[in-house]
Order: sequence, then structure tokens, then C-alpha cells
Amino acid sequence: MILRLALASLWARALTVGMTILAIALSVGLFLGVEKVRTGAKDSFADTISGTHLIVGARSGSVQLLLYSVFRIGNATNNVSWESYQDVASREEVDWIVPISLGDSHRQFRVMGTTRAFFEHYKYRQGRSLAVQHGVVMDDLFDAVIGADVAETLGYAVGDPIIVAHGLASFTEHKDQPFRISGILAKTGTPVDRTVIVSLEAIEAIHVDWRNGAQVPGQSTSADEIRQMDLVPQAVTAALIGVKSPLQTFGLQRAINEYPEEPLLAILPGVALQELWGIVGVAETALRAVSAMVVITALIGMMATIFSSLNERRREMAIFRVMGARPRVIVTLLLLEAMLMAGIGAILGLLLVYLGLFIAQPIVDSAYGIWLPITPPGLREALIVLAVVVAGAIVSMIPAWRAYRLSLADGMTVKT
Amino acid sequence: MPSFRMIALPLVCMAATAQADETRQLDAHEHGIGALNVAFDGNTVAMEFQAPGADIVGFEYEATSQEDRTAIEDAVATLAKPLDLFQVPAAAECSVTQASSALITEDADNHEEHHDHDDHDDEDHSEHDHEKHAEHDDHEEHDHAAAPSHNEFEGAYTLSCANPAAIDTLTFAYFDVFPNALEIEVQIITPTGAKAYEVERDAPELALSGLF
Repeated sequence: MILRLALASLWARALTVGMTILAIALSVGLFLGVEKVRTGAKDSFADTISGTHLIVGARSGSVQLLLYSVFRIGNATNNVSWESYQDVASREEVDWIVPISLGDSHRQFRVMGTTRAFFEHYKYRQGRSLAVQHGVVMDDLFDAVIGADVAETLGYAVGDPIIVAHGLASFTEHKDQPFRISGILAKTGTPVDRTVIVSLEAIEAIHVDWRNGAQVPGQSTSADEIRQMDLVPQAVTAALIGVKSPLQTFGLQRAINEYPEEPLLAILPGVALQELWGIVGVAETALRAVSAMVVITALIGMMATIFSSLNERRREMAIFRVMGARPRVIVTLLLLEAMLMAGIGAILGLLLVYLGLFIAQPIVDSAYGIWLPITPPGLREALIVLAVVVAGAIVSMIPAWRAYRLSLADGMTVKT
Repeated sequence: MPSFRMIALPLVCMAATAQADETRQLDAHEHGIGALNVAFDGNTVAMEFQAPGADIVGFEYEATSQEDRTAIEDAVATLAKPLDLFQVPAAAECSVTQASSALITEDADNHEEHHDHDDHDDEDHSEHDHEKHAEHDDHEEHDHAAAPSHNEFEGAYTLSCANPAAIDTLTFAYFDVFPNALEIEVQIITPTGAKAYEVERDAPELALSGLF
């Protein structure tokens, strides 16, 4: 009975009520959207590396090592000498080891030197392997495999030549040693998509005629001559390690961290990621707090509309009273109206988020490499809707209380 | 955090300057904070434990009095019983297959006290074992007694668990046994990856759901 009354009453003021609901819907949509992006970004980060037990690099910080070796963010402070790399690789705990050599670039994309083992052992999203979409994994010294984003952005196809630039933001290109694209990887949603992968020897090869960061004038070694050369790298940037048994992980980590000949650092990727997340966590909390404040603002806006509606509804309330409605009924009616507005707003907000997700998912994925999963609303979403309804009820208590007090005496003696 | 937690690295560095030519590096040493590493592989669980002497026996100078020696011996013996310190649910059916504990002095890597424990017959810490070690200690006089040293207790354990997936919590009775310990940094490796946790005296339980 009261519910029908409440609905009819809301319907009678459709425009104001509609605006209030819209404000709540947008605020709830923002809140849920922020949550989605936050968890999506976190999962995307966490999914970037899996199956690797240890990452080894020069001794710096674990977060820094993780960022430059896996996410290609920032730079290494030092390299790991080839001798040390060999020492680590020959330890009996090591099941496989994949070297990574960074430092050159192609346009805005980083070039990574590695071995074929990278394609075998690098795993993402809970153990998925890299897949070659077109062409094959590099075969020749001057073969390059490019990530999906590189191919898409620069419009490359298998067989195209590609020139690697020295350093990360320089114009000195290794024009004398052009590479050929041998394969294009399928999209992974990881930084591999934005990487040009060449062999470790190729990184050495492109620097054959280079001394101190510049090409030696007049000297040019032909590609065939270079193929004959012994291209053992002097150093690598980092290495990914898989151990034979997880039980040996800590022991190997300690051995590498205490390696006397060179200051090395071995990290557990999962732990470093958590550390990184601990740093980002502050900003994350701030983001959540801001979006929660927006929801509260919308609810306070609703309170304001209810307050202002009380004035114009004095006569209505009076008539209810005359017809025998108790003051309690008036309070219930107002609370119910507020909860309906909040509830409808929250559910609309939820729908808005899903609509937004359907539109934004491919865009966000290709632009930022963040995969936002579209999952059916669960307990979490239900709780948020419920929280908004309860909060709506709480804020409407104040106007309801006022209406209760007024309806006792007021309205019968309308002054206007 | 309590104020007596400190990073004592500079002191240790001073102690280490004596050896000039060698590579000089020392682990961070923070009083009040221990470390526990746990790795799961099938039915085997490997654990490594490390904590400053200050946490375990309350001092880090070289034991000279009989009282201090007894304290160290007792601590090493206690640390050889991992399941009494880090309790796993009974449903996991874990037993200790190998356990060893020792006191390591940082500046010279001297093993002052060692306690090996190869079967999981926990009641068998017979006294003669300790005495033998104490004697052994006597004629192994250290020449760096005057140096401000730091030491750490270490333990390495292997458990065999019939049902490791049942380990959904770790209960740290460790904090009851060693009143000076404040926190343990825990790293756990499971088939799904590595995770780190901090367990503090106020909440000596670690929930591990979702790791298997």
C-alpha cells in the first residue's frame, strides 16, 4: 500500500526524481568503474609473469628489477656480466634460465635480446605460453620477432626490414645492420606486445662496428662476416630462472644474493609485485576514497531534494493525516521513496558500468594493455547496491524526521 | 612499532672493516623481526627460519657465562622443533622429516651451536646431546669476543605432509615461545607463485586460503 503510494509519489515528480536518480547512478557507476579498473589493472600486472621462479639482475631494488626486466619500465643500474650469468646458469638448482638484454629501441618500442628459450619458458596469465601468430620464431642472426602492438602500430608484416636504434631515445640508428621480421606474436596483454625481440647475439652483432656509442667511421662489417664472428655477449641485463624444485628457490635466491664476485640480486616475482602494489596502494586507496565521496555527495544531493520537496508537499502530508495516516506512515513513505531512488540509482549505475565495460574493454586493452574482465555481478556488487540503499535510508532520516514533526501540527493551518 | 626495533647495520660494518681485501657485504639485521620462508612442492614442505639473537635469547654478545650458554642451547633445541613454533592444521598430517637449527655469528660465520635433528621423534632431545655441543664449544674459543657482534638463529626444516592443501592457516606459537620477537616476514612459494606476508605478535595467525 505504502509502496504503491511511494511509487506514485515519485512518478508524480518524475523530473526531479529522475535527476536525483541520475546523479546517484553516475556516482555509483563511477565507484564501480574505479573498482573494475583498479582490480583489472592489478590482475593485468599480476598476469604479466607466471611460472618464473626467480629474476636475476644487478643488485638494486626488487621493485626496480621487476619493473625493468618484466615491464620494461625504467632502466637497469648495471648489467650482469656474462661470467656471472654462466655461473648462475650452471648451478644445479637451475632448470632453465633465459637471459634478457635491453637497451636498444625501435621507434617507441624497446628491443630485447634473448634466446629461443624465452618463447618456451616465458608464461603469462597463469601459465599461458607465447604464440606466434604469423611467421616463425627467429632463426637467423638478423631475424626479429615483434609483439602484436608493434606490428599493429607500425603496420609491419612478416618479411619487412626493421632498423634498430642505439639507446632508447637516440637518432643514431644501426642502419648498417637491418633486421628482418620473421614472426609476429599473438596479443598477450603484456609488455611483450610492445617489444621487438631479437637474439642475444644480434644485440652484439649490431654493435660490432660501434665504439663508445658511435659508429667507427669507414668501418663496416658485412652481415655475412658478422655471422662468422663469435658473438658471445659481454653482459646481459637480467635473467629469468626456473628451478628444478620450488623447494630450492630460497636456497638459490640466497646463493645469488650472496654471490661474492658480483653484486647480484635475485627476486621472487610474486613478492616483488606485492611490494610494488604496496607502494601503489596509497594512490589506490585515495582513488577509492574519492569515488566513495562522490557517492556520498550524490546521496546528500538526494537529501537536499527531499528537503525541498517537503515544503511543496505540506498540503499532501496534511491530507494524509486528515485521512487517518499516522505520522509514522509519513516517515515510512519518505524513507521508502528515498530507498527506491537510491536503489534504482544504484542498479542503473551498475548497468551503466556494464555498458561502459562493453564499449571500453577493447579500447583500454589496446591502449593500455589492461584487460578489464566482464564478469556477472556478484556478491560484491550486491553489497554495494545494498550499501547505497541503506545509506540513502540513513540520509533521508533527517528530512523524514522533520516531516514527522511538522505533520503533527503543520499543514492543517496552511499560511499561504 | 616499539622503539627498540633498530637497524644495526652500521655497527656490523665497523666490525667487518677488519677484513680488508675480501668482498664485504652483510645482510640487513633488524631486531624484533625474523624471517620464515616456506616452499611447497607436492607433499614436501621446506621451511627456513632466521631471527636475530636479540629476538630469541635477548642478547647477541658472545655467551661466556654458563647461564647464557644454557639459554642458547635451549633456544637452538626449541628451534629444532618447527611444528611447535609454526603450527599447521592437523588435517594436513605433517611430520618433520629433517630439522636443523644453529646460531650464526654474522661477522665470522661461526657456528657456535648446532643442533641436527634427523628423525621426527620430537621427544628425543636427550641431554647428552647438548653437553657434547657445550664441550665442543669450550675449546673453540673465538678471538672476536670484544667486537660488537650480531648473531642470528637459523633453522632449516623439511616437512612431509599427507595433505598439504589442508594448510589454510599457519599459527605462530613462536611469539609465545620467544617474548622478544615482534614480527616475522613470511614468504611462501606455492604452485601458484610466491607471496609475502608480515605476521605480527598482535595477530599471530596467517590465513593461506586461495594459495593452492
